[in-house]
Amino acid sequence: MTVTHSAPAAPPADGGAVILQASGVIMRFGGLTAVNSVDLTVREGEIVGLIGPNGAGKTTFFNCLTGLYKPTEGQVIFNGAVLPPKPRAVVLAGMARTFQNIRLFNNMTALENVMVGRYCRTSSMALTSIFRGPKFRREEAATRARAQELLDYVGLGRSSELLARNLPYGDQRRLEIARALATDPKVLLLDEPTAGMNPQETRQASDLIFKIRDSGIAVVVIEHDMRFIFNLCDRVLCLVRGETLVEGSPTQVQSDPRVIEAYIGTGDDDEDEGAST
Amino acid sequence: MSTVSTPTQIAPTPGYHPSRIDGLREQHGRLAWLLVLTGLVVLAAGCFLSWSYDPEILGNLSISFNPGSLQLFMLTAAVLALVYALAYRGPLRGLGVWIDSAKALMVLGIGALGFMAITLAVVAVTSSGLINIDPGGWVSLVGSLVLAVGGSLLERRPTKDTLHAQLPAWVEIGTIVVLMAMLLFGAAYALGQTDGNIFGLFLVFVVAVAWSLFAAGFFTWLGIVAQRHRRVLMLGAFAVAFLFPFTQNGSDANMSIATQVLIFAATALGLNIVVGLAGLLDLGYIAFLGAGAYTAATLSTSAFATIGWKPPFLVVVLLGAIVAATLGLIIGTPTLRVSGDYLAIVTLAFGEIFRLSMSNLDGNNGPDLTHGPNGIPAIPDLQIGSFNFGDEHTILGFSLGRFANYYFVLLVLALVIITVFSRLNNSRIGRGWVAIREDEKAAEAMGVNVFGLKLFAFASGAFLAGMAGTVKAHQDVSVTPDQYVFLESAFLLAAVVLGGMGTVAGVFIGATILKLLPEKLRFISDYRLLIFGVLLVLMMRVRPEGIIASQRRQLEFHEEDEALAERIEEVHLEEEAQT
Amino acid sequence: MLFLQQLINGLTSGSLYALIAVGYTVVYGIVQLINFAHGEVFMIGAFGSLAVWTIFFQGQTSILILIPMLLGAVAASVGVAVLMERFAYRPLRHAPRLAPLITAIGVSVSLQEIVRLFYPGAKSPLPYPQIDYVSGTALQLGDITLRRSAIFTVGALVVSAVFLWWFINRTKLGRGMQAVSQDPDTARLMGINVDRVIVVAFALGALLAGIAGVAQGLQTNSISQIMGFTAGLKAFTAAVLGGIGNVAGAVVGGLVLGVAESLATQFIPGAFGGTPWKDVWAFVLLIVVLVFRPQGLLGARVVDRA
Ligand SMILES: Nc1ncnc2c1ncn2[C@@H]1O[C@H](COP(=O)(O)OP(=O)(O)O)[C@@H](O)[C@H]1O
Ligand SMILES: [Mg+2]
Repeated sequence: MTVTHSAPAAPPADGGAVILQASGVIMRFGGLTAVNSVDLTVREGEIVGLIGPNGAGKTTFFNCLTGLYKPTEGQVIFNGAVLPPKPRAVVLAGMARTFQNIRLFNNMTALENVMVGRYCRTSSMALTSIFRGPKFRREEAATRARAQELLDYVGLGRSSELLARNLPYGDQRRLEIARALATDPKVLLLDEPTAGMNPQETRQASDLIFKIRDSGIAVVVIEHDMRFIFNLCDRVLCLVRGETLVEGSPTQVQSDPRVIEAYIGTGDDDEDEGAST
Repeated sequence: MSTVSTPTQIAPTPGYHPSRIDGLREQHGRLAWLLVLTGLVVLAAGCFLSWSYDPEILGNLSISFNPGSLQLFMLTAAVLALVYALAYRGPLRGLGVWIDSAKALMVLGIGALGFMAITLAVVAVTSSGLINIDPGGWVSLVGSLVLAVGGSLLERRPTKDTLHAQLPAWVEIGTIVVLMAMLLFGAAYALGQTDGNIFGLFLVFVVAVAWSLFAAGFFTWLGIVAQRHRRVLMLGAFAVAFLFPFTQNGSDANMSIATQVLIFAATALGLNIVVGLAGLLDLGYIAFLGAGAYTAATLSTSAFATIGWKPPFLVVVLLGAIVAATLGLIIGTPTLRVSGDYLAIVTLAFGEIFRLSMSNLDGNNGPDLTHGPNGIPAIPDLQIGSFNFGDEHTILGFSLGRFANYYFVLLVLALVIITVFSRLNNSRIGRGWVAIREDEKAAEAMGVNVFGLKLFAFASGAFLAGMAGTVKAHQDVSVTPDQYVFLESAFLLAAVVLGGMGTVAGVFIGATILKLLPEKLRFISDYRLLIFGVLLVLMMRVRPEGIIASQRRQLEFHEEDEALAERIEEVHLEEEAQT
Repeated sequence: MLFLQQLINGLTSGSLYALIAVGYTVVYGIVQLINFAHGEVFMIGAFGSLAVWTIFFQGQTSILILIPMLLGAVAASVGVAVLMERFAYRPLRHAPRLAPLITAIGVSVSLQEIVRLFYPGAKSPLPYPQIDYVSGTALQLGDITLRRSAIFTVGALVVSAVFLWWFINRTKLGRGMQAVSQDPDTARLMGINVDRVIVVAFALGALLAGIAGVAQGLQTNSISQIMGFTAGLKAFTAAVLGGIGNVAGAVVGGLVLGVAESLATQFIPGAFGGTPWKDVWAFVLLIVVLVFRPQGLLGARVVDRA
């Protein structure tokens, strides 16, 4: 990945080649079907939004894409090849993610967190590490430099030696993005990257996501903040109860009465659930 | 603390105005300080008088103006107290800006009081009667009491953080060297004690002094210094370990203990890779040591060895390590599916399988590989070239016995293990292990090869233990299954846990505590296991990360502690700034 | 015939495993803690019953003595288990998992040592009293030998299982236990005293372990402070076999393990089949189950949340 700061114009929505194609993904937990045959196509250089009320299955869908869950049915094609549902294979293929409830390595420094992200792109093994030959030193230095570069990129350059758990909330989210970027992804999956942020931090986050997109990485983002989604996304997918309700341009989705209903309807849903359990 | 006596280097606290302290407290403070001075002078004076009527007790404490060793301890404590006192008020004020001398004095005073009380109690009990305590003993007891009281009455003043103290490099290196020398002589002295009481009192003294230095912030500073002069420290530690046998005049009694400690520590270090670095609990680790030992035994020239092939020892070492590592790989495979407590039980079961198999393979139940419960005795000493490890050798006029020979081999082995341990720790692999410990799912999602790294931890830990086992077989002369029971695994784990997870120094301390103390404190020998069990329970409540824990481990055990996290970050930043 | 004999032997030792295994499973189901020291609770039970006999009934053999002996066993093991929970485990409830496990090892060693050092004469194995009807000459049914203590053990398991079923499904505390094991947070919100439920779980496990202690004493005629180690490990195997957390599973697992073990001794051919390898095969079974079917025979497959 080359970090380009001069932003070229955003590519047209369906201009790039298809990089990620998930089809018919189903995930069942016992009797509960959390994701019910969802299709998703992502093209290079695109930002795709994933919206839907709480419990709609968005995070579960991410987990299926990244191999944390083995989908009950369906397959994920990445860059022309079928992705096995193994997290490591997914990352190696070029898809990285962040988590809704931040999952940093809390007791490592920011820099070390990002260096862990480089793990899959480096290769020093036991003997190299023990004998510390030139290859080892070169790779360590390169890893460190790259990690620092990424921290600078997301705006955390000065916090590199601070412990992740001591960082403010917004910085932790950005650190998670830097860690994901360290795996050299072609597609980045962000699970509610602005949850709990103030408006200013949200703006910074969307700037960052644009910057990432402009550097050639496709982004799939789960969000509840509609303004954020409509400013950011080329395409939006709305999930409700595990199924795709609508897919289309932000304006299409925004004006779709079913989407509005789904969001308004959730209040009732929640009450129902509360009463029945 | 005597080495930090260059107060000119340290600027006094800018914000400190004595005039602001009101007169009453000033007076009170001066009184306390005078108490401290009186106390330490009285304590020291007592040391020049006889403590005990009976010269046979606790070394010889009965000759006035010729202090015995216990009296010298208290003299040392008095001198240290003088340094603190003068740092509190007097010519060493510059030093006092950095160290919490009031607290240090209090701790030292209480420690000295405890020391004196135990000493006098021992004198009274062994010679049946308080009458046998000579006046000097009472004088010193009173002195230590006054010191303790004065110390606790002293006003505690805010101090600067020794973390940020900067001294010239030669002072820092000098400190390390002096400490190492003290370690060497302290260890030689302690091991030389055949009297459990003196040994115990020496421990009390060491703990009191160390605690007071800790209270003074000395160890914070030392930590940074150690970080800054890592090479010097390692070299120093190695020099101490290397020179130790030369202090023993060819006596094998202590060298035998020292080799036991060393082999135990080396094995525990291997376990620390598994537990401390990779965060996997292995309750059957002793099996790997056993695998190495049995390999060496069956391939040895013992008349009871069961395999005809007699390769040279270096080949045996490698083979033992490979056999153990293979077992490690097998034991590691379940990590793919099970984790946490389950894994611990799986390893425990593996350990038992190993032990039972070794005591079964006697020819009646399966092939005769191990001679069953009787094991393989009469394993000859190592012979490398013309150098026989069983013989006594003389080097530069120092005679070195059988155990000293093994000691040196084990030292080299320990060095290898330390190198492997710390290099793996500071590498891509080490980072991967930390990530797995912190959040396995997240690590996996970031592309860390979780299964591979766990397997590798098991295999490499086993490899190192296997190497140690091959030496152990020759040193112990015989190999039997009952040397490899679960309790031994528990002991190894305890060395790691008590000493400190993820650190080298911690494991050595843990190993020393667990192996040396029962040897020297014979009177506790029957209660050894009970103390061990209770210690584990208490440790998990009081300081689960161990005595010298890695900072990261400490954080992991105190997820809620914000202040600790801030503090460790501060230390880390200071270290980064230095290097 | 041989098969039947081995089946009976297996069911006997299996009943013992089952009685102990319940303790692992109940506690695990509620606090996700493997109470590694549970084997020692069993051992304490045996010593508790012996103490009652030695103090009050020395030299007597009446079957009626069995009742106070059982009470003594249960009192000792429940007492120890409750103290252990209160002072060793409870303070660590939110600590990393390593801490309670190491504590458990510490507790285990301490308990063994306390018994060895302070129970009169326990430095070597102590003979266990002979009781009318349940010890003594074995019954002979054709070719099959049926030991009296075996009948006692199986009987104890049957009674305990019925009691367990009743307790868990029919009492308020039992249902509280079920609630906590399914969702501790909600259970707490619904007003269940989780601390108390945890204590009850420990006590319940200890109750059966105490009974098992008596059964073991009657079977082997001698007890020692180390008897809890292997028995505990075997019982844990049984609990895993049945699906840890599943009470019925523990009973089934215990019986299956016992039977598998004795059949292995008899029917694995060659040198690796005899009694010396019995424990090895049990542990191999443990590992195989953990690796290939960690949820056990009766447990349901669970996806861990990511
Ligand atoms: N591991 C799991 N086991 C059982 N149910 C799960 C699991 N993971 C998610 N679910 C259920 O799947 C549904 C979708 O959850 P999720 O994907 O987190 O929703 P969203 O991210 O859209 O808010 C929820 O009802 C949740 O309880
Ligand atoms: Mg979600």
